[in-house]
Amino acid sequence: MLQEKIEQIKEDFSKEISNIDNDKQLEELRVKYFSKNGLIASLFGLLKDASKEEKPQLGKVLNTLRSGLQNQFNVVKEQVSKDGSSKSIDVDLTLPGIERNIGSKHILTQTLDEIKSIFKGMGFSVSEGPELESDYNNFEALNFPPDHPARDMQDTFFISDDFVLRTHTSPVQIRLMQAQKPPVRAIMPGRVYRNEAVSSRSYCMFHQVEGLYVDTDVTFAELKGTLASFAKQFYGDNLKFRFRPSFFPFTEPSAEMDITCFICKGDGCKICKHSGWLEILGCGMVDPNVFDNVGYDNEKYTGYAFGMGIERIAMLKYGITDIRVFFENDYRFLKQF
Amino acid sequence: MKISLNWLKEYVDIGDMPVVELVNSLTMSGLEVEDYVDQKEIYKDFIVGFVKEKNKHPNADRLSLCTVSNGKEDLQVICGAPNVDKGQKIIFAPVGAVIPKGNFQLKKAKIRGVESCGMICSEDELELGDDHDGIMVLDDSLIEGTPLCDALNLNDVIMEIAITPNRPDALSHIGVARDVCALLGKELKIPEVKISESLGEASKFAAVEIEDVENCPRYSAKIIKDVQIKKSPAWLEDKLKNIGLRPINNIVDITNFVMHETGQPLHAFDLNKLAKQKIIVKSTDEETKFTTLDSKERTLPKNTLMICDGEKPVAVAGIMGGENSEINENTKDILIESAYFNPSSIRRTAKVLQLSTDASYRFERGTNPNITDFAAERAANLISELSGGTIIDGILDNYPKKIEPQNIIIRYSRVTKLLGYDIDKEKIKNVLNSLELKIVSEDNDNLTVSIPTFRPDIEREVDVIEEIARINGFENIPTISKISITLDKKTDETTFAELLRTTANGLGFYEMINNPLQNKETASVIGTPVFVKNPQSLDMECLRTSLIPGALKVVSQNIKYGEKDLQLFEIGNVFNKLSDKKISSVDDFTEKGKLIFILTGKSSKKQWFAKEKGYDFYNLKGMLNSFERKISLDNVLNDSYNNIESNFYDYFIQKNYKETQIGEGGKLNKDLLKQFDIAQDVYLFEYDLELLKSIIPDKKYYIEPLKFPKIYRDFAFIFDKEIDFETVRDFINKKSSDLLKSIRLFDLFEHESLGRNKKSLAFAMEYYSNKRTLTEEEVEKDFRSLITAVTNKFGAQLRGN
Repeated sequence: MLQEKIEQIKEDFSKEISNIDNDKQLEELRVKYFSKNGLIASLFGLLKDASKEEKPQLGKVLNTLRSGLQNQFNVVKEQVSKDGSSKSIDVDLTLPGIERNIGSKHILTQTLDEIKSIFKGMGFSVSEGPELESDYNNFEALNFPPDHPARDMQDTFFISDDFVLRTHTSPVQIRLMQAQKPPVRAIMPGRVYRNEAVSSRSYCMFHQVEGLYVDTDVTFAELKGTLASFAKQFYGDNLKFRFRPSFFPFTEPSAEMDITCFICKGDGCKICKHSGWLEILGCGMVDPNVFDNVGYDNEKYTGYAFGMGIERIAMLKYGITDIRVFFENDYRFLKQF
Repeated sequence: MKISLNWLKEYVDIGDMPVVELVNSLTMSGLEVEDYVDQKEIYKDFIVGFVKEKNKHPNADRLSLCTVSNGKEDLQVICGAPNVDKGQKIIFAPVGAVIPKGNFQLKKAKIRGVESCGMICSEDELELGDDHDGIMVLDDSLIEGTPLCDALNLNDVIMEIAITPNRPDALSHIGVARDVCALLGKELKIPEVKISESLGEASKFAAVEIEDVENCPRYSAKIIKDVQIKKSPAWLEDKLKNIGLRPINNIVDITNFVMHETGQPLHAFDLNKLAKQKIIVKSTDEETKFTTLDSKERTLPKNTLMICDGEKPVAVAGIMGGENSEINENTKDILIESAYFNPSSIRRTAKVLQLSTDASYRFERGTNPNITDFAAERAANLISELSGGTIIDGILDNYPKKIEPQNIIIRYSRVTKLLGYDIDKEKIKNVLNSLELKIVSEDNDNLTVSIPTFRPDIEREVDVIEEIARINGFENIPTISKISITLDKKTDETTFAELLRTTANGLGFYEMINNPLQNKETASVIGTPVFVKNPQSLDMECLRTSLIPGALKVVSQNIKYGEKDLQLFEIGNVFNKLSDKKISSVDDFTEKGKLIFILTGKSSKKQWFAKEKGYDFYNLKGMLNSFERKISLDNVLNDSYNNIESNFYDYFIQKNYKETQIGEGGKLNKDLLKQFDIAQDVYLFEYDLELLKSIIPDKKYYIEPLKFPKIYRDFAFIFDKEIDFETVRDFINKKSSDLLKSIRLFDLFEHESLGRNKKSLAFAMEYYSNKRTLTEEEVEKDFRSLITAVTNKFGAQLRGN
């Protein structure tokens, strides 16, 4: 009878201990078998009813049982405590983490950063100039004669007869060339203003990056190479591009650079006005008159210049269809980037 | 500018070149075709219909229920036009047709419960004209079922070309044809016109005098007598309509036609309205009032170039004719003006009058002075053909000083130097010939080229090189893949601003970019604004004088969107006027870079680990300190505190470098916030960027990490409430030995149990030496004497004793 019970306990214990894989279960097992009111203690309790002759024998059996089970228990206990994954600490790891808020640069700044880093890699410096600029630097020095229709290309906010809100970043070219001798290789980012009605497609101010390289042997071929490299780095390697003739008073020849529309891959869509091409920048070889105006020898030096609108590039790149969102500073917009 | 392909073909044979290819060649040579309409394509679904029956719509008074025959069957069509009637031939759009205006596909529809199987169209809907008052009624002789393209001869392609300001020569069909010839290697076909002898019979009927030769170098005129003013024939009207012009009468239509053919603007005067049959071209010597033929009275300033007759002005030269000499249905004899005006003069007047016409647009860009006679004769021939008038022999041609083609020398070597590749010499010569840039002489290295007067943009060698590059194709210029980089020093003037931005981001601030153009009220809140002379609206009349108002507008707007917890910064320029004078030099205004930080709402929302907390002054102050530490200015700036209300702040802090204030900010007062409709507390600070940038931070040197243990001591005192933290801290620093390295305020406690107007400040202090291990005894000694000093100095009571 007692023997049966012992066997039963042995069997149950073996079965139960084989299922143990954490501290909690181990503790439950310990309480069930080894505690003061545990099963083993209860067997020892039966000893007092046993006869004098049986007692030593039974005691021995029970002691063997206890030490046997204890050994098994210790082995498992060691395993459980060694195995890290099996160890359980009472903590809810699914609670939300405690975050730190990191702000962000405006998406236009981020776009400009990307442009800057590409051109800096090609050996360009970065310069800036004022927004409230003289008419001379903004127009005349750049070969826009007074009373010339080319001035209609850029609707201007006038401050006085002599000052304007710059309509492009090109006056920084003039400032740079007035301040130093060639070689000059720089990009010039900044804010510009146009007196255009505000709509989803145009705003009264926006941002440009200007580029200028002047030295003794600068060619149109180098202009093409440099801008093609920029476009590939910025928009992706598979890109196709084209340069087509255009007109800017401060470059001759002048060109506009188009890239394959990356929305429709050149098939024609609404964004590219069904042409398959997107115009991304204007460029050309610096006009000799501009060199004259800054006192550079226009026989000795040649140069190229280019300019691009950052808003347009960011709109294309991020699928923004209304230019006004850049300047509304809706927190929900700012936090997206 | 609109160019009709059929019209263009009169001057150049393009063979069977597909339109797409032509469009592409033009675009790639600098005449950018922005858009084109192939009439055969867009009108392919439309046919001539016949209105067999017209009845009232049963459910709508203004609609008619028509039976329209499409030549095969009768269809029920609802029409809303008042002029639809039984027996009319009309333009019928069957179901499935795409209506050009609005670009939508027509579907079978029930209109007020009755089915309509198509649509009867108006001119406007088909973009054939402006008339949208009713449907377009066609000629009775047309047969129903005929495709519209055949019925109306709609087989043209209309290209919209963006002509850059340097290309006045391309503002005509012949001009565009000349480029096409150069691109395709074709001959330009110019209509044959016989140029009359100067004066001749014509001098008996009128005379031309030029007083202002400077502004009018040439004036040619033809006289045609006994004309009959009437509607132009269909071919002429269609040509004009196709390029977006409204036909008026045969005379005006011909002047328009010749302008769009040759680029030479013409004007027709009623000869009998010209006093003394005289034309005098002169600049006015006083301000003049004059009514132009659009019936508007205009005030012309002194020195405006005008066409006058023997008594009075009759036209604003090169811009618009006068009402007083306009032709009308009674006109018999006309004088055709064909002149060349100084481009700047025309532009100045057009700007003053804010009047841009097709004529002024061409004159101000530069027309060809040497085709005025050709254009006048061409117009005269057509007028006599279409109006039955008699051309008076001879031409009145006043051309005191002939404008001759100029010669330019082109060096082959310069072509290579500028473009970066060699172009075959023969190729160069071919391009020049095809553009009518005549080679006058040549040797191995150079070409001398005569520049025709229709190309005023070509003045220098470089301009010719552009022509060579353009016609030869920019795509043929190699795209090199190697560049050389000079090893001079490279600079980046934006580095500092980038450091500020990155640091601000690290502190949790989002960057905003605001429009610097503001209304007067907003811009005047903080400074003296610079005004824009020609603002778009009063909302954008001034430049910002500070970044604060713009930032507050953003805060206000975001709160309305429900975004109430904001942490924002902006870097931007602000502008202030320095004098009352007009801005004529950089001394009259300032343009300064600024950096603003702004905080409002909650710094942390209520979460499972934290209580809700709002931003306060100490958040702002701490963030500024962190910011300054990150840009290495923490030890060089000193703060001054102002807890006295100012115009903008309840209390504020100023940051100074030596004697110069470099920034200011604090808690904004309610009155200012109210102006921006903000009801929650706002904290901000604005730095002057240039000043901040001008401070050279102390050079950093490596400090070896401490090798010796620190000893810590805490104490808390009860002080009178008005004693401020920094006074105590500075005193502790002063009284301690240099073993004391840091003092941290770890508790601030106010409670009535401390006594009225009392507070408890608790400090944690660190003692250590870089050279040795301190003993407890020496620190204890220092600490004890400090307790005594603080107690005595402030009448403070040590707590916990």
